[in-house]
Amino acid sequence: MKKLLIILMFALLPLSLFAHSAMAAGDGPSKDMLKGIITEVNAAERTVVFEKDGTKEIVVLAMNEKMQPEDMKLNQKVLINLDKHAEAGNVMKDVSVMFMDMNASKLIALLVIGAVGGLLSGFIGSGGAFVMTPAMMSLGVPGAVAVASNMCHKFPKAMVGAYKRWKYGQADIKLGLVMASTAVIGVQIGIKIQKYILAQFGGAGSNLYISAVFMVVLVFVGGYVFYDAWKLAKGGGKETVSKLALRMQKIQLAPMMHFKTAKVTISAWITIPVGLLTGMLAATIAVGGFIGVPGMIYVIGASAVVASATELIIAFVMGAWGSVQWGLSGLIDIRLALLLLATSLIGVQLGALGTTYVKDYIIKIVMATTMLIVAVSRGVKIPGYLIDLELMNPIQENTLALLEGISFWSLVAALGSAALIIIVAMVKGMTADSRSKKAVLGVSNG
Amino acid sequence: MMTTSFDKNMSAVAFAEAGEHDTARQILGENAAKQHGKSPAPAAKKKPYLKTIIFGTISLSAYYMLFTNEKLVTEIFTMGGWRWVYPVGAAFFFSFIHGAFASNLLSTLGLEAKK
Repeated sequence: MKKLLIILMFALLPLSLFAHSAMAAGDGPSKDMLKGIITEVNAAERTVVFEKDGTKEIVVLAMNEKMQPEDMKLNQKVLINLDKHAEAGNVMKDVSVMFMDMNASKLIALLVIGAVGGLLSGFIGSGGAFVMTPAMMSLGVPGAVAVASNMCHKFPKAMVGAYKRWKYGQADIKLGLVMASTAVIGVQIGIKIQKYILAQFGGAGSNLYISAVFMVVLVFVGGYVFYDAWKLAKGGGKETVSKLALRMQKIQLAPMMHFKTAKVTISAWITIPVGLLTGMLAATIAVGGFIGVPGMIYVIGASAVVASATELIIAFVMGAWGSVQWGLSGLIDIRLALLLLATSLIGVQLGALGTTYVKDYIIKIVMATTMLIVAVSRGVKIPGYLIDLELMNPIQENTLALLEGISFWSLVAALGSAALIIIVAMVKGMTADSRSKKAVLGVSNG
Repeated sequence: MMTTSFDKNMSAVAFAEAGEHDTARQILGENAAKQHGKSPAPAAKKKPYLKTIIFGTISLSAYYMLFTNEKLVTEIFTMGGWRWVYPVGAAFFFSFIHGAFASNLLSTLGLEAKK
């Protein structure tokens, strides 16, 4: 397996050659972002002298009306967003220090998020990303650095998780690679759509689009997964292949592909749209797995265990690819990535071994619960965006703040409840297993 | 001399009848382990204490080195361009070292996948 991963790693290198083409959600910073050091502040003229990172080019930037000269951080690496709509050129929109100061509470927060995100990822194949980026941002990390560092932590975690689950005989490498290769194309399409919406309707329109996609996908897909898991739980937990997947498997359209671990023979024309949609969703809401895993279960016909394990392979390929992009722009804060990894590498392996003790439908329950609670977190943000677009009458400031709070804490609740279900199911499974082993021992001892 | 499972079972029965329960159990346990790759009475598996300590030490010292040189590392790792190999390479390195530590740690704690 290690050999295979190394081969895969080298296969990813050429991808970096056409890396600069994709620079949007999840794939790189915008062109209006500058990275470098402020070397001088001119308080009277309200300008700063800025040295660009890498090229060492010197530019003079103007502060906007809200900025104060004393807020400008001298001789520290900063990220500056330029105001696109300013009449005079080179006006700064915001300045953020690229590397936050680490203290004990931030360190602990990162370790805790890492552990829970890892556990979820090892168990359902994806997860954590939807809470890690906002959590890092609330710790004071600039958005682009948070996305980049999360990406750089995601692929090693997915790699370790995929390796473990492959060892348990759950991951279908071929299916994973086929899905990943189409998902990479899906990401490009997703970015194109995002860019179009951003150009047409601006920032609020783009946010509304993202939230709407979030809601539709999470409520419908999450709701269906939950319904299916509930049915399975009532019926004793015996999983059957969905009718849709059976119908899809009957389509004999060349090239036909056989996936050994997933025990599926299906036309490549069926896997392509599932992969594309996974990538498109990943580019839109950063969690492709919410389409990838249900897609592999209900459209392709893999079991929940195989689908969630295979998703880790997709996450590895896409995460490594994304990390190269962000690395090219130099936005990865390796400290954040490695602190998240410190606990998530333990969590992901615990989650992976947990799947060997639980029934298939538990994976579906965890997945559906996470999806439905995350849907709430995005849903409550919609009024804010509608107000920005002037499609709704303004509401009180504190109501909006309350909605923001609900949004963040429901993400935390999603992670917390998923972790709780996993741990309870795992402990139950382990106890039942050791009891049955003891019973066998008792019988053999006479 | 090769002994078949039947031979082993019979000798276990003989020992059990003679009151040597422990020996009988030992024979049966070994037998089951060899036959099916899993034993209903697994002999206490040796826990990988040493590996956990070795990988843990390497991982911890790597983290220590990174955070004591925080400023230098963040500076070099964010220069962009071909320097993407630094963060991506570091992530790979830590995933092997720290991943091995985590795996051994879980085994040491007795958390193993169901066989």
